[in-house]
Amino acid sequence: MTRTDVLRPVRDEKAPPRGRQPRGSATLVTGCVLAGLIALLALVSLFWLPYPADDTSGGRLAGPGGGHLLGTDKLGRDLFTQVMTGSRIAVQAGLGSVLIAAAIGVTLGVLTAFAQGWLDDTLAAFLDILIAFPTLLLAMLIVAARSATLGSAVLAIGLAQSAVVARLVRVLVKRVLAQDYITAARTSGTSWPRTVAGHVLPNIWPTLVVNLALQFGLAVLAEAGLSYLGLGAPPPNASWGRMLQEAQATFTTAPAGALAPGILLVLLVIGVNLIADGLRDTLDPATRGRRA
Amino acid sequence: MRLNKTFLYGTATAATLALTLTACGGSGSGGSASGGTWDKNATVNIGSLYEPQNLDNTAGGGQGVTEALNGNVYEGLFKLTDDGKVEKLLAEDYKVGDDGLTYTFTLRDGVKFHSGKQLTSQDVKYSLERVIADDSQSARKSNLEVIKDIATPDARTVEVTLSKKSISFVYNLTYVWIVNSQAKDLKTAEDGTGPYTLDKWTRGSALSLDRFPGYWGDAASNKRVVFHYYKDATALNNALLTNAVDVVTSEQSPDALDQFKNNPAYKVTDGNSTTKLLLAFNNRAKPFTDVKVRQAVSAAIDDKKLLQSVWGEYGKLIGSMVPPSDPWYEDLTKVNAHDPDRARKLLAEAGYDKGFSFTLDTPNYDPHPTAATFIKSELAKVGVDVKINTITSDEWYTKVYKNRDFTATLQEHVNDRDLVWYGNPDFYWGYDDKQVTRWVQQAEEASTTDEQTELLKKVNRKTAEDAASDWLYLYPQIVVASSKLSGYPVNGLNSQFYAYDIEKKG
Amino acid sequence: MARYLLRRLAFLLVSLGLASVVLFALLRMLPGDPANALTAVGASPEQIAAARQAIGSDRPLPEQFTHWLGQLANGDLGTSFVSSLPVGPEVTSRLNVTVPLTLAAFVLAVLIAVPAGFVAAHKRHTWYGALLNGVSQLGIAVPVFWLGMILIAVFALNAGWLPAGGFPPDGWSEPAEAIRALVLPVATIALVMSASLIRYVRSATLDVLGSDYLRTARALGASFGRAMWRHGLRNASVPVISILGIELASTLLGAVVVESVYALPGLGSLLATGIAQHDYPVVQGVLFVSTLAVLLIGFVADLAQRIIDPRLRGRLSGGAR
Repeated sequence: MTRTDVLRPVRDEKAPPRGRQPRGSATLVTGCVLAGLIALLALVSLFWLPYPADDTSGGRLAGPGGGHLLGTDKLGRDLFTQVMTGSRIAVQAGLGSVLIAAAIGVTLGVLTAFAQGWLDDTLAAFLDILIAFPTLLLAMLIVAARSATLGSAVLAIGLAQSAVVARLVRVLVKRVLAQDYITAARTSGTSWPRTVAGHVLPNIWPTLVVNLALQFGLAVLAEAGLSYLGLGAPPPNASWGRMLQEAQATFTTAPAGALAPGILLVLLVIGVNLIADGLRDTLDPATRGRRA
Repeated sequence: MRLNKTFLYGTATAATLALTLTACGGSGSGGSASGGTWDKNATVNIGSLYEPQNLDNTAGGGQGVTEALNGNVYEGLFKLTDDGKVEKLLAEDYKVGDDGLTYTFTLRDGVKFHSGKQLTSQDVKYSLERVIADDSQSARKSNLEVIKDIATPDARTVEVTLSKKSISFVYNLTYVWIVNSQAKDLKTAEDGTGPYTLDKWTRGSALSLDRFPGYWGDAASNKRVVFHYYKDATALNNALLTNAVDVVTSEQSPDALDQFKNNPAYKVTDGNSTTKLLLAFNNRAKPFTDVKVRQAVSAAIDDKKLLQSVWGEYGKLIGSMVPPSDPWYEDLTKVNAHDPDRARKLLAEAGYDKGFSFTLDTPNYDPHPTAATFIKSELAKVGVDVKINTITSDEWYTKVYKNRDFTATLQEHVNDRDLVWYGNPDFYWGYDDKQVTRWVQQAEEASTTDEQTELLKKVNRKTAEDAASDWLYLYPQIVVASSKLSGYPVNGLNSQFYAYDIEKKG
Repeated sequence: MARYLLRRLAFLLVSLGLASVVLFALLRMLPGDPANALTAVGASPEQIAAARQAIGSDRPLPEQFTHWLGQLANGDLGTSFVSSLPVGPEVTSRLNVTVPLTLAAFVLAVLIAVPAGFVAAHKRHTWYGALLNGVSQLGIAVPVFWLGMILIAVFALNAGWLPAGGFPPDGWSEPAEAIRALVLPVATIALVMSASLIRYVRSATLDVLGSDYLRTARALGASFGRAMWRHGLRNASVPVISILGIELASTLLGAVVVESVYALPGLGSLLATGIAQHDYPVVQGVLFVSTLAVLLIGFVADLAQRIIDPRLRGRLSGGAR
C-alpha cells in the first residue's frame, strides 16, 4: 500500500476490477437510450409542441385521452406539452450546473492541490464544511439577490457542486503530483502551469468526466427540489419540480400530473448515472491500471 | 391580505386591512347543536395554515394570532360575530354624545383576567393606548388615531373623546383586545379575559388553549382547543383525512373537497367570503396611468374561466372590491366584463395598437403563479406580453408595498369593507381620484349608515368604471369539519375563529 | 494522539469562528427587511422605524455582531425578532424532532446499505446482486419529496396506518405518537440515503475484493470470511466512514424538504422560515448549532478513521481523500 491508495477519492466509485467489458458497454447503452429519450424530447420541444405553451383550451384536469396524451392541468393546459418543456428545463439545469461546477471546481481543486502542511489540512477541512453548507440556503440567498429564475437555481446548484468537484479534483491532482514522473519533470525544469497542462489534466479527466456525469443527475434532482419549493424557473415555464408541486393537491384525483414528471425525472437521472457507470468502466485509468 | 400560505416563505406577515365602518348583516352560522350528546370535556383539534408570528396583535402577531386568540383568549369591548354583527362584549352599555364625538362605555361587572385581577377602566384605557402608541404595529392604528382623549371617571366607566366623527369607531373597537395593564410580556404570554387560557405554544407546530374556569360568561362547550399549523393545503387536507384534526378553518384547494363531500363523516360549508384576488395595477406607472389600458386589460381576462380553473365550481365573480356581504354591494360584473374585441379597441385608442409588455410581480405561492400563467395567456391574445416575476411575500412587502417599485402585481385582500383603501392616494396601488378620496372621508364622518352606504356605493361604481384594479374573483370560504362537530364559525370573518361554541360528540 | 486531539479541537474552534463571521455577513446581504414580518399592511414609515428599533436591526453591523458574540459567550442564542421567544429553547425543541429523525434514518440506512452493498459487490454476478444494484440506481434517482408524496398516499391516506404528517404538540411526552409521526419521514430519508450508501459500500468492497492483500491472505490459506474480517473490513470502512460523516451532516439541514412534506417542526423548517422572515437571531442560531454539529461529526469521523487505520495518524483531518 502506498500513500496514494489512502488518498483515494471518496466520491469516486470503482467499477468491477476485472474485465467485464460487455457489461460496461451494456450499461452505457442503456443509459444512453434512457437519457437520449429525454434529450430527444427536450430537443423536439424546441421546434414542436403538441399544443402552444399557453393554450388553455383543454378542460380543467381532463384525464388522459381526447387529444391530450396525459390529460390537462387545472388551467386546461396539455400536460404532455408541459412535460416536454420540463425535460428541456431539466437538461438545461443539469448542463448549466455541471458547467459552473466544472469551471470553478477544477480551478479551485488544482490550486488547493498545491498547498502543503497546515494550509493543506485547513483547505481540505473547509471544502468539507462547504459541502455540508445547505444548497437550499445558498439558493434562497441567490434567489433573494437576483430573483427566481432558472439561472438563479442553476447558479446555486453549480456553486454548491463546485465544492464537491474541487474536493475530488484536489485529491486526484495530489495523487498525480506524488508520481515519480512529475518529480522528474519538475527537476528537469518544467514550469508548474506546463506540468498541470501536460501531465495533471490528461491524467485526471476520465475520473472527472465520470464524476461530472453523476453531478448532472444530482443537479437535475436539485433543480426539481428548488422548483418544488418555488425557487426555480418562474411560471409559465413548466419545470418538473413545479409540476409535481402543483399536482400534489390532486394526487389522488388526477394522478397523471403527479406521476408523469416524476417518472421522467427518475428515468433521466438513472440514464445519466448509467452513462457515468459505463464511462467509468471504459475510461477510468485507475480501473484500467489495475486490470493491466 | 393573506401572505402566509407557502410553506417556505410563509412569512405570515399577515395582516388584516380593515379600515371600516359600522356593522353589517352577514349570514349563516355554523352547524348549530344538532341534538345528541356532546362531550363537555372534549378536545377540539383545529387545522390551520396561519401560525401566529408572536402572540401580540399590536406587535405584528399577524392573521394567525387573530384566528387563535381573538374572542377565545382576548375580548374587546365589542365583538364582531361570525355573521358580521357588532355586539357588546366587555362593554355592558355605551352612549354617544350628541356631537358624535364623545363615547361613554360602562364596563361589565365581575370580569376577571386569567391572572385573577379584576377588569377596570384603567385596563381599557391602557389597551386603547397600546394600539395607538408610537411603536404600535397594529393594523388598526390609523383607524383609531381619531381618539383624542381617554378618561376614567370611575372603575367601570371609560369616556373617549374623538377629534372628528367616525362612524366605524365602535366596529373598530372589536379589534382592540382588552389586556391587563399590569401584564409584563404579551408577545410570548397572555393575560386576557376570554373563555380560554393559553396552555402552550409550540412554535412551528401547535398552539393549545384550555377552558378558563373563572370565565365571567357561559363556559366554553369544550375543554381544550388545539390549533395545529400546517404550511400547505395538501398537508392540511391529509391531516383532516387521517383524523389528525377535526376542522379546517379555511379550505384552500377545491380538489380535495369531493373526498369530503361524498363522505358522511365530514361536513362541508360554503360560507360568506371577503377574500378577493386582485390584479393590482400601479396607477402611477405607465402604461397603467391610462384608464383605457386598465380597462383593456380587465376586459381581456376571462375571470370566469380563471375562477373555474382555480376553484372548480366554488367562488364568485365580483366586478369591484366589494363582496356581497358588505352593505354597499352592487353587482358590477358587467363593468369591464370579458370582451377581447373591446380590449383591442381600447388599446388602440390608448396608442398601444401594437400591444406592450409589462412585468407582473407574482407572490410565489398558490394561487398566484396559476393566476399569473392564465393572465399571461389571456393577454397574449390581445397583443400584451406579460413577464412573470415570482417574489416571496417578504419581497412583496419591500418591493411592491413599501417601495411601490412595480407595474402590476397579484395579491389577496382578505378583509371586509376594504373598499375604502381606494380613498387613500398613498396606498400601494396609487389610485388617486380626488372625488373618491372625498367620498370616503365623508362616508367615515357620516351621521347615518344610509348616508355612509350611499357614498360608498358611489366610490364602488367609480373605482369599478376606472378599473382601478382588476378584481379577478371572490374566494369561497369553505370550512370542512368532522360531522362530530357543531357550533363552529363558517364565515371566519376577518380571520376570526371562535372556538367556544364548538360541541364535539364523544 | 493527545497532541492530535488538541490540534484538531483548536482547528474546530477556529472553523466555527470563521463560519460565524461568514454567515453573519452573508445573511445581511439578503435584500428585504426584518421589520416586514412585524408590520401590518397600512404601516406608516414611523411604525416600520419603530419595529426596526425594537429589534435592533437599525444598529450598525459590527455592533450587532459583537452583541451577538457577547450573548453567545453567555450561552445565549438571542431572542427571535418575530416571536420574541428565546432562540435557544426553540432550537432545542426543533432538535428534538430533527435529531431523532436524522439519526434513525441514518442508522436504518446504514443497516440496509452495509449488507446490501457488500452483497451487491460480492455477488455482483448473481441475479440478486444485480437487482440490489438496480434498486440502488432507482433509489438515487427518486426525488425525496416525490417519494414522500407517494408514501403518504399509500400508507397514510389509503391504508390509514400512519399519520400523514405533523408531530404531537407535546412532543416526546407522547412517545407512541411521536414515534408514529416519524415512521414515514424516517423511511423516506432512509430509503434515499441507503440507495447512495449502497453504491459507496459496494465500491469500497469491490476495491477490497480486487486488492493484492486479500489475494495474498487467501493464498496463504485464510478463509474468505477470515480474510475479509482481518483485512477487508478495515480497509473498506475508512472511505465509507468519511461518506457517512458527510451524509449525516448534510441530512441535518437537508431534511427540510422531508420536514415540509410531512409538516414536521424540525430544524430545517425553522431555518427556512427564519430566512424568509429575516429573523436573523433564529437563522444565526440554527446555523451556528448546525455548523457545530457538522464540525463535530467530521471530528468523530476522523477519530474513528484514525483508530481503524493507524497510517492516517499523521494527518490533521479527513481520512480517505
